[in-house]
Amino acid sequence: MNEFREVTPGGKPFKKAYVALMLWFVGRAIQAAAKVDGDVKKEFEKLPEGFTFCLGVMPHGPYMIVGKDRKERVKYMGWRREGRSIDLDMKIKNIEAAILMFTFQEGTAVATARDRMVVDGEVPYACAIVRVLDIGEVYLLPKIIARLAVKRYPVWSFGRKYIGRVRIYFRSIVGY
Amino acid sequence: MYLPEYYEFCCRVKVISGHNALEKIPESLAKMHAARPLIITDKGVSEAGLVDIVLDAIRDEVAVGATADDVPQDSSLKVVNRLADVYRDNDCDSIIAVGGGSVMDTAKGVNIVVSENAHDLMKFSGAGALKRALKPLVVIPTTSGTGSEATLVAVVKDHERHLKMAFVSYFLLPDVAILDSRMTLTLPPFITAATAMDAMAHAVEAYTGLAKNPLSDASALAAISLISSNLMGVMENPSDREGRLALANAATLAGAAFSNSMVGVVHTLGHATGSVCGVPHGMCMAILLPYGLEYNMHKNAHFTEELLVPLAGAEVYAATPKHLRAEQVVAHIRKMNQDLHDATAGRHARFLGEVKDGGGRQVVPREKLEDIAEAALDDGSIFYNPEECDYEDFLMILRTAWEGTPLDRGLIKGV
Repeated sequence: MNEFREVTPGGKPFKKAYVALMLWFVGRAIQAAAKVDGDVKKEFEKLPEGFTFCLGVMPHGPYMIVGKDRKERVKYMGWRREGRSIDLDMKIKNIEAAILMFTFQEGTAVATARDRMVVDGEVPYACAIVRVLDIGEVYLLPKIIARLAVKRYPVWSFGRKYIGRVRIYFRSIVGY
Repeated sequence: MYLPEYYEFCCRVKVISGHNALEKIPESLAKMHAARPLIITDKGVSEAGLVDIVLDAIRDEVAVGATADDVPQDSSLKVVNRLADVYRDNDCDSIIAVGGGSVMDTAKGVNIVVSENAHDLMKFSGAGALKRALKPLVVIPTTSGTGSEATLVAVVKDHERHLKMAFVSYFLLPDVAILDSRMTLTLPPFITAATAMDAMAHAVEAYTGLAKNPLSDASALAAISLISSNLMGVMENPSDREGRLALANAATLAGAAFSNSMVGVVHTLGHATGSVCGVPHGMCMAILLPYGLEYNMHKNAHFTEELLVPLAGAEVYAATPKHLRAEQVVAHIRKMNQDLHDATAGRHARFLGEVKDGGGRQVVPREKLEDIAEAALDDGSIFYNPEECDYEDFLMILRTAWEGTPLDRGLIKGV
């Protein structure tokens, strides 16, 4: 009789850990950028009260949840999506696609064009969050890498770019 | 030929094209084990006698459950939910949509509600809400523009909440699309022009956008070639059956292309102009298409220039120096708009400031451009545009498209 060895799917723990770390840091950076950057602040002000969005990887994570709390402050809300009401759910289809995005081999726009993501929620919310993510990438990454992630690298004043970057990094690290 | 590292393409619609294609409906329904369709259409289509042509073609073999001809100009959530009741009350087992984009989107919405045995379409909005195949759906387009017969999207307006809801699923692709020249023979020249340019915009944006792929490219090139070769002939001789069928095929091909490759800034601004000022979609597309191409040219001239072959022919392509081909494509589309303007005694507008309503009033006042640019920020089609677009970029494009002057590409950020 044929005997077949059961093949269990690989967990890819290192890739998942890398993406989880990136999501954790990006989440905290968005919280920081909402305090530091006027454009990010404005984008969140236009979103409804209690708005929450999730960016993560299918099928089982990792995830990043960011939303507005009761006092309308933008907060990184951790990685657990259970029990949360998500207004905008952005899921990368698999861990390999997430690695391409988070190692900046593939920009956000190209990843979207290549159907790497499933987005569930209202389109205007998605437009706003993509703009926030783009601004976050410009703050967090050196120009040579950020140029791969965004369609057009913006021309910012010295203060916005470098002082803003320091403030966002500081706030992201201390979680403030 | 551009081959992306990864892409997805799906268009599993059976297309039946011909001068007597309607007569294939009974056989198509039978193959899907359906016998009692609900016909969904609108008053304009019904009064033009097009539903009668369909009924004559199928009457002997198909028992129509009911005919609903009250689809409004914008597909509406209320109408979808009500037509679902009509479907159930008349024991229908399939749907035939006869009309333009609004009718086809309404039919897709009704199909979701009746197939899911639900009462409210809103539960299924967004992507991924549908998990199984729907009831048989046959669509018969009566304009050659929207391409909805080959797309996986339905847009339905919730008039109470002033929202346009998108429903996206491969299950929304119709089972059969019937392209019959009889369905578009009576389309007025002015609408023929606008709808054909709508299809042209679908094909051009699909070919030059970020999500292009070889399969959608093939559809887009064929669509552009068919429109370019047949549109002016149909404008001069509206009863040209071959030309009408060619335009219907072009719209379906363009629909298949953009359903898989999506669209860009032309549609972003077109949707916003339509929602803020009520300009017909096809007219927005015709006006904005050259501006969208100019705006993106520094990113995708190498794709745009290839369109000169289906637009103007191989000889023009060969005679045009490489560095001028993309600009020649833009010039050619502007010339098409000028020719259509002349052929419709000025009803086909060439720039936004020229768009007039039935009473001769300007439809897009210049002071509305800021509102349009603001609305464009909320449109998802911009994700697929090669170049970034912020509020100032939108406004710059809109101002030049309002005046009808070519875009000063030196003003584009990053160029």
